[in-house]
Amino acid sequence: MTLATRRGLIAAAMALALGVSGFAPRAAHAEDYPAGPLTMYVGYKAGGQTDLVGRAVAKVLSDQLGVPVNVVNKPGGGGVLAAHELQKAAPDGNTFLFHANSVINTEPFMMKRIDFKPDDFEYAGMITAYQTSLATQKDAPYDDLAGFVAWAKENPGFSFGSLSPTSRMYMEIIAEKEGLDVNIVPLKGGGDMLNALLGNQVALVLSGGIHYKYPDQLKTISALTTFRQPSAPDVKTIEEDGYPLGMDSRTTLILPKGTPREVLEKLSTALKACETDADFKTIVDAADIPIFYFDLDQAKAEMEKSYAKNKEIIEGAGIEPK
Amino acid sequence: MEYLISGFGHVLNPVTLFWIAVGVTLGYVLGALPGLGKATGVAVAIPLTFYLDPVSAIAMLIGIAKGSAAGSAVSAILLNTPGEPSSAPTALDGYPLARQGKAQKALKMGLFASVIGDFVSTLILIGLAAPLASYALLIGPVELCAILLFSLTFIGGLSGNSLTKGLIAGAFGVLFATVGIETETFIPRLTFGLLELDEGISLVPMAIGMLAVAEMIVQAGNMRALDQQSTEMRDGKSREDRVVTGAEWRRCLPVIARGSLIGSAVGILPGLGASVGSFLSYGATQRASRTPEKYGTGMIEGVAAAESADNAVVPASLIPLFALGIPGSVIAAILISALVLHGLTPGPLMFQQQPQKVGDLYAALLCASVILLAIGYAGQRLFALVIRVPLRLIIPGVLFLCCIGAYMETSSVFSIYLMLVFTLIGYFMRKFEYSFVTFLIGFVIGPNLELTFRQSIQLLDGKAANLVHHPISIVFILLTVVTVGLIARGNSRATQRAEARAGMEKPKEEQLHI
Repeated sequence: MTLATRRGLIAAAMALALGVSGFAPRAAHAEDYPAGPLTMYVGYKAGGQTDLVGRAVAKVLSDQLGVPVNVVNKPGGGGVLAAHELQKAAPDGNTFLFHANSVINTEPFMMKRIDFKPDDFEYAGMITAYQTSLATQKDAPYDDLAGFVAWAKENPGFSFGSLSPTSRMYMEIIAEKEGLDVNIVPLKGGGDMLNALLGNQVALVLSGGIHYKYPDQLKTISALTTFRQPSAPDVKTIEEDGYPLGMDSRTTLILPKGTPREVLEKLSTALKACETDADFKTIVDAADIPIFYFDLDQAKAEMEKSYAKNKEIIEGAGIEPK
Repeated sequence: MEYLISGFGHVLNPVTLFWIAVGVTLGYVLGALPGLGKATGVAVAIPLTFYLDPVSAIAMLIGIAKGSAAGSAVSAILLNTPGEPSSAPTALDGYPLARQGKAQKALKMGLFASVIGDFVSTLILIGLAAPLASYALLIGPVELCAILLFSLTFIGGLSGNSLTKGLIAGAFGVLFATVGIETETFIPRLTFGLLELDEGISLVPMAIGMLAVAEMIVQAGNMRALDQQSTEMRDGKSREDRVVTGAEWRRCLPVIARGSLIGSAVGILPGLGASVGSFLSYGATQRASRTPEKYGTGMIEGVAAAESADNAVVPASLIPLFALGIPGSVIAAILISALVLHGLTPGPLMFQQQPQKVGDLYAALLCASVILLAIGYAGQRLFALVIRVPLRLIIPGVLFLCCIGAYMETSSVFSIYLMLVFTLIGYFMRKFEYSFVTFLIGFVIGPNLELTFRQSIQLLDGKAANLVHHPISIVFILLTVVTVGLIARGNSRATQRAEARAGMEKPKEEQLHI
C-alpha cells in the first residue's frame, strides 16, 4: 500500500517536472541573445590543436558576450558525431559547434553514412586556417614538388606517411600521374607522424601544419591550400605546381539550421574580436596557426565554394565513400 | 643543473606548492575512486589551468597524472576494482592481501612502489631526456612491432589456471580492439553503422564496465559472505600485517627497480601507455620468481611490480615530449596545449630558449613525487577504513561514480551503454574464470601491433629479407619464438601430468597462439 502511494507520488512529481519544463517559456528572443550560458561543442578530444583554439575562442566569445561559454568535447568520426548532435539542438544560438569545416565539405565524400550539405547548417564565421602541406626532413635532397617527383622516380619503393583518406588520395593522384612506385605507410595521429618523420622512417608526409613547429628539423615542399601559407610564404602551392588540388579547411562556428540572423551576427561580431585579442594571438602563434577571419556571409560563401571544389577533386580521384 | 637548483627556488613557494598539492590530491582521490580517473581529472583541470601561471598549471596537470596513477592502487587493493586499467595487475595480488587482513601492508607497498617508480623515472627524465629521446627515434614501427609481439607472450604468464582460457580472453581483447575505422584503408570494421564506434571502443568505459561494475555485481552476489569476513578480520591484529617488513623490502626492492626501468622504457616508446608498463612488469616479475604459481594469491611483490611500473610511465612519457615535442601519452598531449598556452613550445628548442622554465618544471616534478608520498601516506589511513564499510553502502556509490566516469570522456550516454555491455562480458568472464587481464592485454596491445605491422610491411617494401636492416626487431622476434617454445613445453608437461591424473585431452595452445 505504502509502496503504491510512493510510486504514485513519484509519478506525479515526474509528470509535474515534465510539464513544467515543457511549458517553460523558450528563452529565445533574438534581441536579448545571449540570455544565459552558451554551449560550444568541439568534435575532438580535449587537448588537441583544434580543442586548444576552440577553448581560446570560447574565452573571447565569453568576454565579448558577457555570458559563460562552456566547451563540451564530443569526439567521434572527425567531428561528424558532434555535427549530428548539433542538428538535434534548438536553433537559438545557445548551442554551437566549433570545428574544421572539413566535417561538412570533405567528410560526406569520404564516408558513406554522411550526407551533410552546406545548407544543412548556419555559419557565424571562420577564424583560423589549417596549413595543410607536404613536409619532409630538413636535409632531404628536394625542396619543391618537382624536385620531389624527380627524386621519387629514382628511388622506387620510397615511403609516404599518410594520416587520412585525403592524404592517401593526394599521393595516389601524384603517383599515378608521374608513374611513381610508393609505399603508403598508415600513421595514427600527429605524434605518430612526427615520430615517423623525425626518425627518418618516411620520406614525406602530409601534415595538418603541426610540422611548422620544428623549423630546425623539418621543411615544407608544397602547400596543399589555395593560398600560400603564412608560415612558409616562399613555398609554392600545389596549384601553382599544376595540380588543381588545393583544399582549404578552416575552423568554423557552426550552428543548427534556422538560427536567426541576428544571433549569427552577434556571434560573428564577437568572433571578430579574436583577431585583436592578445591572449588568442599568443595561443595560435605558438602553434603556428594563422588567423583568417571570415564574417557570416563570407563563411557561407566559402563553405559553398569549398564544398563544390572538394566534391570535384575527390570524385574526380575516383574515391568511393566508405 | 644550476637551473634546476634555481628552479627549486621558484617552485618552493606556498602558491606553487599549493597547486602541486591540489593536483596530486585531486589525482589521488580520483584515482582511488573506481570509475573516475586521469581522464576526469584532466577534464576538470584544463579550464582551471587557463588562469594559473605556467609552472603551477603544468605542475598541477602532472600532479593529477602522478596522483591518479598511485591512487588507482587503493581501490584495486581494497575493492578489487582498479581505479585505472593500469592497476589491474595490482588487484591480482593486492585484493587477496586485503582479504587476508593485510590491506595496510599492501597499500603501503603500493604507495612506496609508486613513489619510487615515479622518482626514478623523473630522474631519468631530467638526466637523460635528450639522449634517450634520440635513441627512441631509432625504434621505428618495425622494431616496435617486434617488441609488441614479444610482450604478447606475457599472456602466457598471466593466464591464471588455464593457458587456453587466457589465450581465448586475449583473443577476444584483440577482437574488440579491431572495432572502428581501420587506419590504412579507412573502412569501418564491426561498427554496425554506429558513428559512435568509428573511433573504436574507448578504453575508459570498457575498463570501467569490465573491471569495476562487473566486480561490484559479483561482490553483490557474495555480499553476505564478504561482509561477514570483513567484520571478522578487519585489520590484521599484529603489526606485521600493517607495515612492510624488512624482509619484504629486501624481496621487493629488485622488483621495484625492474618495474621502474620497465615503466620508464615503456613511457619513452610512443603509444604504449601505462597499462602495457604495469602488465609487462608484473609478467616479468612473475616469470623471474621461483614460485610463479603463488602469484595471484597475495604476493606483495606483485603489488610492487605493477605499481612501480605504472607510475614510472608517467614522467617517462614526457621524455619524447620535452626532447622532441612528440606527445607519448594522453597526458603529454594535453600538456602540449598547456605548455603552448603559457608560451613554452615543447621540443629541443625549449631547452635553449627557456632553460629556466624547464628547470622550474623539473623541480616541480620532483616536488610532486615527494608530495605524493606525503598525501598518499596521510590518505591511506582514511581509505583503509573503506574495508570496514559494509558492501551494501559501497556498491551504489561505486556504480554512480562509474556512470559519471564513463560519461565524462565523450559527454555521451553511448559510453554508459558501452560500459554496461562490457559489464555483462566482464561478469561472465569472472564467473567462468577467464582472465580479464589477458583480455586487457589483447585490447591494449592488439591495435598497436596491427598498426605497426601494417606500417612495417610498407616500410620493408613487402620483403621479409629487408629485416636485416632492423637488428633490434630480429632480436625480439627470436625472443618471442623462444618464449613461446618454452611456454608450450612447460605447458605440455603440465598437461601431461594433468592427463595422467584425469585422462584429459591435450589442448593445442601452441596453434592458438600464432
